[in-house]
Amino acid sequence: MFDPLQVSLKVGASGLEAQSKRLRVLSENLANAQSTGKTPGADPYTRKTVSFESEVDEATGASLVKVAGIDRQRSPYRIEHSPGHPAADAKGFVKLPNVDIMVEIADMREANRSYEANLQVIKQAREMVAMTIDLLRST
Amino acid sequence: MTPVHLFNVISQHNRWLSARQATIAGNIANANTPGHKALDVAPFEMALESARLAMTATSPAHMTTGSADTPATAVRNEEPWEITHSGNSVSLEQELIKAGDVNRAYRLNTGVLKAFQRMILASAKV
Repeated sequence: MFDPLQVSLKVGASGLEAQSKRLRVLSENLANAQSTGKTPGADPYTRKTVSFESEVDEATGASLVKVAGIDRQRSPYRIEHSPGHPAADAKGFVKLPNVDIMVEIADMREANRSYEANLQVIKQAREMVAMTIDLLRST
Repeated sequence: MTPVHLFNVISQHNRWLSARQATIAGNIANANTPGHKALDVAPFEMALESARLAMTATSPAHMTTGSADTPATAVRNEEPWEITHSGNSVSLEQELIKAGDVNRAYRLNTGVLKAFQRMILASAKV
């Protein structure tokens, strides 16, 4: 027989891990929002996307969460006319990454909120365990 | 104190609350998982009634329904506040409210238990 409160801690920790991986990918996108190629006509940095899936824990039957995969977004690149740029093609057009900073920041806020909610669950489960232990304490 | 089954009921309720906390944790962890349906455990009244109706086994040959000592972990789909486009029906606010309820009920239970335990101790160590 497993303890559901320990399971809550485990599930909450899996949520924290998934959200921090998401934040890592977001920061990669933001950092590379201006990364172009080096050779003429080369492709720039492509935006990465994270997807989650729930995973059933074999021992306890709880539904954990994990990162299902990190994919590349298949939307067109931004094109800018800038002759003389190292990555400009024959007509002087440069491909810029398909990263929208506003979208990334909105996504970051969402990741933040989910992280906070998971942290709250862990805090409360710990508190409940502490309450039970406190029963033993002589008053 | 035995006719009240106080300690039994409280520990049963706490077991149920722990199971509920685990379910809420699963919902919150999967708040961004596409297609995840929010779950909740069956209400405690149901678990309590099924436990109370269980027949006493006075002989090893008697068959029991086996519901007396198992915690209520029958998980059911709950009515969601909203369903997002990805088919996810977890609302963080709703889950956090439920987690707060669970925490408060648990605190109440352990508080009551502590008061009774202190009473017993007071009579035991004179």
